[in-house]
Amino acid sequence: MILEARDITRRFGGFTAVDKVSVSLAKQEILGIAGTNGAGKSTLFAAIAGQQGSDGGSIMFDGHDITKLPPYKRAHLGLVRTFQIPREFKSLTVHENLLAAAPNLRGERLLSSFFRTPSLSRNERELSEKADKILAFLNLSRVRDTLAGGLSGGQKKLVELGRVLMLDPKCILLDEPFAGVNPVLIDELCARVRELHAQGISFIVIEHHLQALQALAGRMIVMDRGAILAEGDPREVMKDPRVQEAYMGGVA
Amino acid sequence: MTEFLNLLINGLIEGLVVALPALAMTLVMGVNRFPNAATGDFMTAGAYATIGLQLAGVPSLILAALIGALAIAATSAASYFLIFRKLARQPMVASLLAAIGLGFLIRSLISLFAGHDQRTFQLPLVRAWNFNGVRILPTDLAIAGTALACLAVVFILLYKTSFGRQLRAVADSADLARASGIRARGLLVSLWLLVGALSSIGGVLLGMKAVVMPDLGWEHLIPAFAAMVLGGIGSPVGAVVGAVLLCVAQELSVPLLGASYKLVLAFGVLAVALLIRPAGLFGRIELVR
Amino acid sequence: MTAYLMSIGIVVLIYALLTLGLNLQFGLTRLVNFGIVAFFAIGAYTSGLLSLKGVPLPLSFLAAMIVAALAALPIGLLSLRLREDYLAIVTLGFSEAIRITIQQEEWLTNGVQGLPGLPKAFASLGGNSDLALFVTLVLVTALTAWGTLRLTRSPLGRLLRAIGDDETALMALGKDPARFKVQIFMLGAALAGLGGAFYAHFITFITPEQFIPLVTFYVWMSLIMGGAGTVRGAIGGTALLMIFLEGSRFAKDLIPGVSEVHMASVRLAVVGLALILFTLYRPQGMFGKRQA
Repeated sequence: MILEARDITRRFGGFTAVDKVSVSLAKQEILGIAGTNGAGKSTLFAAIAGQQGSDGGSIMFDGHDITKLPPYKRAHLGLVRTFQIPREFKSLTVHENLLAAAPNLRGERLLSSFFRTPSLSRNERELSEKADKILAFLNLSRVRDTLAGGLSGGQKKLVELGRVLMLDPKCILLDEPFAGVNPVLIDELCARVRELHAQGISFIVIEHHLQALQALAGRMIVMDRGAILAEGDPREVMKDPRVQEAYMGGVA
Repeated sequence: MTEFLNLLINGLIEGLVVALPALAMTLVMGVNRFPNAATGDFMTAGAYATIGLQLAGVPSLILAALIGALAIAATSAASYFLIFRKLARQPMVASLLAAIGLGFLIRSLISLFAGHDQRTFQLPLVRAWNFNGVRILPTDLAIAGTALACLAVVFILLYKTSFGRQLRAVADSADLARASGIRARGLLVSLWLLVGALSSIGGVLLGMKAVVMPDLGWEHLIPAFAAMVLGGIGSPVGAVVGAVLLCVAQELSVPLLGASYKLVLAFGVLAVALLIRPAGLFGRIELVR
Repeated sequence: MTAYLMSIGIVVLIYALLTLGLNLQFGLTRLVNFGIVAFFAIGAYTSGLLSLKGVPLPLSFLAAMIVAALAALPIGLLSLRLREDYLAIVTLGFSEAIRITIQQEEWLTNGVQGLPGLPKAFASLGGNSDLALFVTLVLVTALTAWGTLRLTRSPLGRLLRAIGDDETALMALGKDPARFKVQIFMLGAALAGLGGAFYAHFITFITPEQFIPLVTFYVWMSLIMGGAGTVRGAIGGTALLMIFLEGSRFAKDLIPGVSEVHMASVRLAVVGLALILFTLYRPQGMFGKRQA
């Protein structure tokens, strides 16, 4: 198990958004999380990724207890996420977006801004090459020097993916990657995820777009009203009568 | 001991007065989601408008203050309609800068037309009541009473009318309120009318307590903001409690630090409150960070 | 006439230093600093007081920058915990607290009476002192502009722009903005302190009343008019602002019956109106392209 979240609970005032949910992810697995609006998927996600805390429970990642760690420390350990509404760095180019993500401890110092040593320049060059490789992998080379703020929604999501890849992550949490993306790009995204998965990266994917999710995920969880409704093989889970009932009248 | 009581009473009275702009700020903060830095200058405008009306012959101070409040209310609503409504979709710094600019504009117009000299309200001269060294000015009691009356009116509006209910709904979530069919624009104009009137009366009361000069309201901006934070952003009760606590603390600090450092103390309280307990006494866990 | 133009040039360059500092803080990193005048004042008074004790100007200038930067440290740390509007009001309060403290602590600062008779920069050059100061300022401003450009184009500059764009995303990518925000805050404050030192030894007589919030918003106006985020904009905007401010002085001579006090109010009114109009009708001034 690369990720084990146990008894995650999240309350807002009197309302319980997530009620003692446990999720585990095996190495090199793609786990899908589905559920109607308000089921608690995003809240669970935020707790695992670290943007929100948990009112109880624990999270282990790759042997480390990350329950109390802030997001940036979780990223150091190899757990990264993308966002439902893309958070690209609008005023940076696509290439710069990836460079900004790269761990660059020495280059990002104040004095280094004024005094460029050969080793720093080499470091920048290596990172730049890495970024270009990732952009090529994501078919974004065309827009390398375009300001990220001017891209389409789907392209922005690819940029987000490119950014997290700069960190050589072990596990990527994708938050509704297909929302607002045109079908061609959805297929692209799926293909890229599968390739990365083949290279050893684990994924948790939240999605409303059930067709794409079913095709992508090896295992699926359906949430409803803060708890897990069903879990298992994607096709079986979607045929489960409780899941069908939860979705009737809900957004599918 | 008597000195302590005198300071306490003075702080209490000043606190009730500062509660008015603090309340004005917290209402705008809760609904429009930005601190209205022009609140202080609305106060100053109210004080000057009232003095102007008195000089123009309006017989009673109360009448002049009410007319002045109406004028400032209209100005406040106009500023919302012309400026802040349009900036609602911009990042917050735009509204902040516009509010500062509006304050500057108001202050400069006041000093252009009324000069920089200190003015006072035409009040009857009365002797302070003296209870074994504890001094209470009847005018101060009138001031405190007026402030309390204003606060009462606002609280009735907020908690006993549909206007208040809708306002509090919008404060909780603008999207939610819009979805349930509340006509936000008319509501917000009414809010800014109320806020303007409140600030105006606050300015008159402050002017009655001391003197009226162009910087009157601006000097109370930081204390009003500190009171709002102390009491909890978006909490009307908090604004009042915060204002009283802050002003009492300010008064009690005078023997130690001197009168000139009152504003520095307010700033100190603000910084510490934001560090230790940003939600304040009664606020929700607002996104301070 | 040349002497007059030179003194305007000197003031423009001093304000340009402040605007370049704000450009780093807000233009790049989106830190809303409404307390710039505090660091300007700290720089002026630090250099002024030290020079009166006999410290040579180059050292007192250095001290001005260091003390201003140190004063920015607590505010920088506060900024980590505060949303932009709270930071704005807190920095505003800080600048007023500084002004009041300067006014009150007479034993240190001579209080309301201020510090007269400060050594004039390049006084030994007699009639050419202003020229020397002007040339020095041109060099210093050019150096600062160059440094800011280098910074903007460097990996750190990229990071600062990313912080300004979306901190949450940056943190999700494994970077904690805290250290960088504090550093940039202190750097901007050091620039303001340097400007203050130049100011003090140009006009040679400083009082607390000169360090009011209006100064802060002159700098903001400069930044907005020129376009926040670009070095060119910072300097260009400052020049525009100063042309206006000096021009208003001429206007006073042209319009009968307008006194100096009136002019001060008129300037306040125009800055206020300009702030309102620019935020309403030229938002690109605040949020435009931020590259160089």
